[in-house]
Amino acid sequence: MSKGIGDRKYRDGAGLSMRTIIAVSIAAGSFIILADRSQAADRDGGAQLAAMCASCHRLDGGDGGIPTILGMSPEMLARAMLAYRSRERPSHIMRAIALSLSDEEIATVARYLAALNK
Amino acid sequence: MKSPTRREFGYLTGGMTLAALGPRLAASEAKAKVVVVGGGIGGATAAKYLAASARTIEITLVEPNPNYTTCFFSNLYLAGLCSLESLTHGYKTLAQRYGINVIHDSVAAVDPVARTVGLKSGPKLPYDRVVVAPGIAFNYDALAGYDEAATQVIPHAWNAGPQTQLLRRQLESMEDGGVFVLVAPPNPFRCPPAPYERASLIAYYFKQYKPHSRILILDAKDSFNAQDLFLDAWERHYRGMIEWLPAQFTGGIKTIDVKERSVKTASETFKAAVANVIPPQMAGQFTQQNGLADKSGWCPVDPITFESKLQPGIHVVGDATSAGDMPKSAFVANSQAKACAFAIAEALAGSERVPPRLFNTCYTHLGPDDAVSNAVSFKPVAGTIKIVDNFVSQVQESAETRHRTAREAQSWYAAFVRDTFGYAAF
Ligand SMILES: Cc1cc2nc3c(=O)[nH]c(=O)nc-3n(C[C@H](O)[C@H](O)[C@H](O)COP(=O)(O)OP(=O)(O)OC[C@H]3O[C@@H](n4cnc5c(N)ncnc54)[C@H](O)[C@@H]3O)c2cc1C
Repeated sequence: MSKGIGDRKYRDGAGLSMRTIIAVSIAAGSFIILADRSQAADRDGGAQLAAMCASCHRLDGGDGGIPTILGMSPEMLARAMLAYRSRERPSHIMRAIALSLSDEEIATVARYLAALNK
Repeated sequence: MKSPTRREFGYLTGGMTLAALGPRLAASEAKAKVVVVGGGIGGATAAKYLAASARTIEITLVEPNPNYTTCFFSNLYLAGLCSLESLTHGYKTLAQRYGINVIHDSVAAVDPVARTVGLKSGPKLPYDRVVVAPGIAFNYDALAGYDEAATQVIPHAWNAGPQTQLLRRQLESMEDGGVFVLVAPPNPFRCPPAPYERASLIAYYFKQYKPHSRILILDAKDSFNAQDLFLDAWERHYRGMIEWLPAQFTGGIKTIDVKERSVKTASETFKAAVANVIPPQMAGQFTQQNGLADKSGWCPVDPITFESKLQPGIHVVGDATSAGDMPKSAFVANSQAKACAFAIAEALAGSERVPPRLFNTCYTHLGPDDAVSNAVSFKPVAGTIKIVDNFVSQVQESAETRHRTAREAQSWYAAFVRDTFGYAAF
């Protein structure tokens, strides 16, 4: 693959700060991680849901105008998703995604993504 | 039956532990076989996600071209904002890291009784399932005066590559003050905002290098996608440069005169310095010849598995499908291909399944630093696919928001081509 347009880096667009994410997490209130599903189902489900994220977010840590979703805890990821769903955080793309997921699915995909870079 | 290797599933999707994949194990006769027809966005994504989700499936991807040039962002190339090489991607990663058997050939026919796929060069490949993703074909019968040979004089540039280069060369050699005529197709067609994005970005190019030139869009329709956003941008960035004539104004497009480089409508003949004719479209030729397309010219599919409603065991994804409310976009092709791959993995390798997630996200450039986006979620309903939520950028957005969206678009491109053609390395 040749280097080019898609590889351009934009420093100023390098995602949300941790402070923003934590602030949003607190604002989103309590979030329950469900632990009662079988691990295999969780992994398959997590991978299938994460496939949706991979259409826009790089899974190799590369970062640019679209923030990375690696290196966050499941709680942080889940709370960010809930904040998008409630419009507390603006982004119509993330809102459409978050609205399509149940709380349990958000927990599943968050666990899966958080485990990716371990 | 559950696959013993299922536990690798997720980690492979991201390519994190791909080393564990290869070399693919022997005993291939015991493995289920999937043949993917077409290595464009739909086909490449389906092959990659099948490889990632089921190690017990042997995947063959058949694609005639050694490389794939993306249509998305090719309008930026036409405006001189990026190279075509930067939009061109190979199949090495899919072959080497994902263990996919990539064959550079065309599929001539599929035999659903013998369950074989016949290659143009002769061999027949046995299959348990086929995924067909041949993109679009042009319906030249529906546009008088324009055919395959005409594309060498008046390009469509609706498949990216030599056609796009030809149009760029013509724009570059056009004298200042010329009229660029773009003929926009009837619905449904590949990427609804793209003809108008093309007009916007060519106007950007003219504004800098040929400021006396004009753009005339002769449309087969009376309205178009995100019209308010485009009209607003044309007024702000390119005032007086772009004229759009709907079918109700011209009476419709009648004939293309290739020699004269002119377009005849019911009311008037328009002569062009450079012309771009985007013809009416239908599902890829292969589907027309193999009983996969219906009278509409498109392929009806199951909204959950993307299995053809006409030929069991054969799945169709991407532009070739008629998939309810889903538009024909690369994002949709990628989204459908994932749903299809997971359905096949479930059927052939017993992986667990969550309900399919179907989305479209489109980034559209109105100028290099002015982009808008659209996000739509879909859901299977009663045999078809319906829109659930639809969010679009607004006309009054700040320049800063638009600039940020343009940056996001760049970042999307990088992630999306990796998601489709694989991560070369982590
Ligand atoms: C100017 C323009 C801009 C666009 N911008 C965007 C955008 O910003 N965002 C977006 O989401 N979409 C965009 N699109 C749309 C996008 O390019 C298509 O929707 C997408 O490519 C569809 O994917 P596909 O797999 O169905 O077909 P394709 O990507 O066209 O792939 C089809 C492949 O099948 C192969 N093939 C055909 N027949 C056979 C056969 N018999 N045997 C073997 N192989 C075969 C072809 O060689 C080709 O490689 C744009 C399109 C255009 C024209």
